Amino acid sequence: MVFWIELLIAGLVSGLVIGLVALSITLVFGIARFPNAATGDTMTLGAYGALAGHAATGSMLIGGAIGALGGAAVGLAAYALVFRRLSNRSTVALLVASIGIGFIIRAGLSLAFGHTQQVFQVPLVRPWRFQGVRIHPNDLRLAATAIASLAVVFATLYLTPIGRRMRAVADDPALARVSGISPVRVMVALWLLAGAVAAVAGVILGLRTVVSPEMGWEMLLPGFAAAILGGIGNPAGAVVAGLIIGIAQEMATPVVGFTYKIALSFVVMLVVLLVRPRGLFGRVEGVR
Amino acid sequence: MEAYLAAIAAIALIYVLLSLGLTLHYGLTGLINFGHVGFFCIGAYAAAILSTTGGMPIVVGFVAAAVLAGLAAWPIGLVSLRLRDDYFAIVTLGFSETVRLVVTSERWLTNGVQGIPGIPRLFEGLGVGMPSALAILGVLLAVNAAAVWLFFRLVKSPFGRMIEAIRDNEEAVRALGKDPARFKIRVLMLGAALAGIAGAFYAHYIGYIVPDQFIPLVTFYVWMAIIMGGVGRISGAIVGSLLLMLFLEGSRFLRDVVPFISAVDMASVRIGAVGLALVLFTLYRPQGLMGDYTRR
Repeated sequence: MVFWIELLIAGLVSGLVIGLVALSITLVFGIARFPNAATGDTMTLGAYGALAGHAATGSMLIGGAIGALGGAAVGLAAYALVFRRLSNRSTVALLVASIGIGFIIRAGLSLAFGHTQQVFQVPLVRPWRFQGVRIHPNDLRLAATAIASLAVVFATLYLTPIGRRMRAVADDPALARVSGISPVRVMVALWLLAGAVAAVAGVILGLRTVVSPEMGWEMLLPGFAAAILGGIGNPAGAVVAGLIIGIAQEMATPVVGFTYKIALSFVVMLVVLLVRPRGLFGRVEGVR
Repeated sequence: MEAYLAAIAAIALIYVLLSLGLTLHYGLTGLINFGHVGFFCIGAYAAAILSTTGGMPIVVGFVAAAVLAGLAAWPIGLVSLRLRDDYFAIVTLGFSETVRLVVTSERWLTNGVQGIPGIPRLFEGLGVGMPSALAILGVLLAVNAAAVWLFFRLVKSPFGRMIEAIRDNEEAVRALGKDPARFKIRVLMLGAALAGIAGAFYAHYIGYIVPDQFIPLVTFYVWMAIIMGGVGRISGAIVGSLLLMLFLEGSRFLRDVVPFISAVDMASVRIGAVGLALVLFTLYRPQGLMGDYTRR
């Protein structure tokens, strides 16, 4: 029993990471209307940014902020240099370009920081025990960080004027445009937000495990799976679906083994697309 | 030197086979296949396992590679061809990663991360050196020529007109009472079988396969080739693959010229160059080098 509860807790924390990735994917998919394959590598960039920031300043808070800013900057640069010019082209063009951008980011990071895995130099803390269940204080802090980031995103989306405009563009770009909403401003806000969210996910993942150039790319599939399960374009759905996939992955590990844990996202994705393509909470919108 | 050129030519021809398969998928039918390496991997492992532990003749391995890769495409087609293009891309990407996970974990069959060594080379009877190398090149050329011939026949046939119509306007095809999904599944299986054959050639040529040779980067090498050459054109697939080979081998020579760059760093530079090529071609020359110059 204790074993399963510990798995559940681990699943919750990794589910929050997947949820953040899925949130970034679903925001871009909902507003810019293509699956952004550079999301994973933006994550990696966030982790390396935080690593460098932490090593330079000694403060994890500043490190994390540098990581998030780095992600936002890369998101904005990708939009300004590439995606903006492709906005009236087919989805394939955007998709292929996003793969290319991901590769460029990964190449830059591995040239700058090397291929070896790195870890954050943070002090080890003895886990707390409740009735035999081990809880790591660091996990709690990371979960709190993830929840705070989610709160910021949702507050931006639902409480601010720019958030309302973003949702308007997601609903109907043409209608938003004739209502006088500037598409460029919305896109700038979107890419800043999506980049920062992905980067925060990378920082959290890096703190829990190790930082390597491939870490983000490996999270891309679970992220897509969660975005699809939650219903494309549905931010709250993406987070809930991320939690579901995170927990399912951890709970399945004793049964199917460590390597097949990633394949689980693929299976989830297939089943959802077959049975309920609009996802758990999606609007009735055609994915077929 | 001759041996080196023969080796490059063989690998280039294997990439041409892969590009032809992807041209069939994407260029002619519009299927965004991001998991091409999965079919390549299945073909390579099928041929390798049958000819080593299976003890079968090499020909059996080639047939099995084509059939198994083609069959693997069938469920993918059934599941996802009803989906919009971008979802299909994600599903195929997931497929190729899952294939790599399976060959990594099922050690009883694939020997896991250690891979399969000692795969017999083609035409070993002719002796090592030029005679066997030339024979391999001859067979590869013949297979490529057959694939190109098949392509031309296909494009001119009613089937070819149908798949191009699907690419251009799927709704119209449906309105004419044709079921696009059935055509797409056949195209998908055919292109996958080509990739499977390419995989069998690869396994027998390299002689040693490990799961790490089948990372998604390979899929995007092929994408880079067809995007550089010109999407939907056979000449584009061929020219693009040759350019790709030039790039892959050129980056190897670059290391001799530019000092202080390690093999690992070179791998990063290569990934970055692939990324840059994908972005720049999408931005500035979406029709590729062999594409129509009058249109943009």
